[in-house]
Amino acid sequence: MAKRTTVLKVTDLRRAFGPVTIIDKFSLEVRTGEAVALTGRNGAGKSTLLRCLVGADRPDDGTVTVCGNPMSETSPDIRRDVATVIDDLDFFPDLSVVEHLDLLARAHGIEDPDGLVDEVLHEVQLVPQSGQLPGTLSSGQRRRLALATAFVRPRKLLILDEPEQRLDTEGVAWLAERLKSERMKGLAIVFASHEPSLVATVATRTVELGAPRG
Amino acid sequence: MSSPDVTADDFDPAPEGPAQVPASARELKGLIKGWRRGRATKKLSEAFSDAYVALIGVAMIGAMVVNVIVKAQRVVAQCETASCLSARTLLPWAAFAGTVAVALAVSRLFGPVLASAAEGFWLLDAPVSRAKLLGARLWAAVLIALGGGALIGALVSALTGSPATEVAIWAAAGGLSAAAAVAFSATQQGIERHLLTRVATYLFTVVGLAALFAVVGVAAGWLDLGVSADLGVQLGVVVIGFAAAVLVISFVVARLRLRQIRRTRLLSGGALVSGISGAFFALDVGLARDIVVERRALELGHVHPVRGRGLGLSALTWREWQRLRRFPQPLIVLGAATVVPYACDALGLSTVTPVLAALTVFGATIPLLGGLRVLTRTGGLARCLPFTMSQIKLASVAVPAAVVAVWVLATVSAYIGFGDGATRRSYAEAFLVSLASGGAGLLASIRWTQAKGVDFGKPMVSTQAGAFPPGLVFNVFRGFDVCVLVTAPLLLGFSPLWSLALGFIVALLLFNSLDAESLKARQEEQQRLLDRQKADAAAARQRKR
Repeated sequence: MAKRTTVLKVTDLRRAFGPVTIIDKFSLEVRTGEAVALTGRNGAGKSTLLRCLVGADRPDDGTVTVCGNPMSETSPDIRRDVATVIDDLDFFPDLSVVEHLDLLARAHGIEDPDGLVDEVLHEVQLVPQSGQLPGTLSSGQRRRLALATAFVRPRKLLILDEPEQRLDTEGVAWLAERLKSERMKGLAIVFASHEPSLVATVATRTVELGAPRG
Repeated sequence: MSSPDVTADDFDPAPEGPAQVPASARELKGLIKGWRRGRATKKLSEAFSDAYVALIGVAMIGAMVVNVIVKAQRVVAQCETASCLSARTLLPWAAFAGTVAVALAVSRLFGPVLASAAEGFWLLDAPVSRAKLLGARLWAAVLIALGGGALIGALVSALTGSPATEVAIWAAAGGLSAAAAVAFSATQQGIERHLLTRVATYLFTVVGLAALFAVVGVAAGWLDLGVSADLGVQLGVVVIGFAAAVLVISFVVARLRLRQIRRTRLLSGGALVSGISGAFFALDVGLARDIVVERRALELGHVHPVRGRGLGLSALTWREWQRLRRFPQPLIVLGAATVVPYACDALGLSTVTPVLAALTVFGATIPLLGGLRVLTRTGGLARCLPFTMSQIKLASVAVPAAVVAVWVLATVSAYIGFGDGATRRSYAEAFLVSLASGGAGLLASIRWTQAKGVDFGKPMVSTQAGAFPPGLVFNVFRGFDVCVLVTAPLLLGFSPLWSLALGFIVALLLFNSLDAESLKARQEEQQRLLDRQKADAAAARQRKR
């Protein structure tokens, strides 16, 4: 069995908005081949925590390291290692679906990206939409495209915020199997979810945030 | 397969009552007008008194425009040279064609007949004639075009020193033509065909550009059109007659076709207006442009995918090149911008040519920087790429910079000085001035493109006009400031090397602004890590004791 190394380490993280503390003294360690599911009611701080983990938001206190390096959203090393699917993904309005994936794969140095891009397009069932511009996609198709961006590039850590959102039943089942297979290959995964079947299939650990609804 | 518990026979129809008579369009409109009046919290006079800052601003700008016109009239009164006379005759033509092209393009983009989402839901679904509901909208669109076109026609004509009769003729020609363009566009909206509108837009754009090139050609002595000012006026009268005929016919046809416009087509224009007006309310012109770009992409819907080239950063640059090849329209605008330094020189405006040229390049290169805009407006896409922000910006800007370099080479001759009374420069100096002008324009558009919207979450600043979020007003001047700053040494008569040095400093700031922020964030993160390690070590020592 391969030795597990720490990919993500979060220590005493705190994030507050004015007088309201969303996350306090939150610590987490995720190693290769582990998948941590963040669960909890709406407003428990799952998305805020994930935004702090990917560097889109700055914590008030505490530290986040990825493969031993302090988290910095603009560091090329971090960007190379961490694939994220959170709600702030933007698209070029004049590039088609397949061109977005091709660009990402090439930017990450994948020499012959055609095979990989085709395979991922097939998986996310966007082959018929490959020539469409992002503005014409349905919300579910946009979600699939966002997920596809994480799979056409190298990655050591995958961070997803409610990846099941806007996916149909078949899509959630595919995602669960895909994430499980990624984890088995050694990828570290942190994801927030409200979908019990996804959590049950993928997660090796579950962390519940916030107080349960009283 | 399990059968459902409910069957088709399982229903109990309600008894039909007496036939209902639907309200008329007039009644519905009157009802809404009554509600709106009832909910008004201010009289019109009170609203005007609250908007005194805006009114004073309009009055000041109006006074400045009148002052400029009076001065221009005095200068052009001594107009005797070929270049000046050609400009006087041909510039109103260019303005006329440009106005019509803009009227056609804008009306095709918005409708021109449109309805808000609320009107679509509450009114357009009512069993009343859609033509009666929308008639006022068509009138409004045509009248706005009439006023706008007349204003532009009169202004350009007055600025070229034309007498009052000529100004009136060009005002009528501009106004009626713009109104006819909108009415014609409405006829096409009625049958949901836009090919003719699009062709007409390109046609008038070409005519406008041809008129501009003719100004330069005559000034440089390449052309001798022999057009007298009288002929221009006579043609203006012909244009008035033709435009009036097109306006009347198109308006009648458009009015008849109003009832068959689909609701989605009306609402998409309304949604676009509300989105853009929201963006303008926050003085976020970049967001307004994003909405228009998104809308165009939505209309197109599908493209033939092209395989990328290169690896790493070069893949980004190649993609920019492929995007430009796919949508080369911005090149037409930049090509037309080549005329500006020549036209300024022809008009004897050599001193202000660099700043006017920079402003033109600023406006013309913004559409080329779509990639930079997407990569900098939110962090999402840039986070997927394994490069620093500086590298991403440089890769995105490489293709637009190459295009601007071509513009610089094409405009060197204008700075050598060929018009009557123009400033004469050596080839080397002309090249440096052209480089400074083009560079200033490009840097200004980069600043404009990567500008962040106003943060309404921050504390407001108290002003005479009420509470403003910080940076709201300065947002409007972004880009213009770079143009003025970089070209200021040229206006003051210093060496162009000063402008290039200033441009270099601005470029350093623009390409490294986000990285400076991230560097600071990284330092803070490392400091926090260090503090934690120290605290852990201190705690361990404490435990040992």
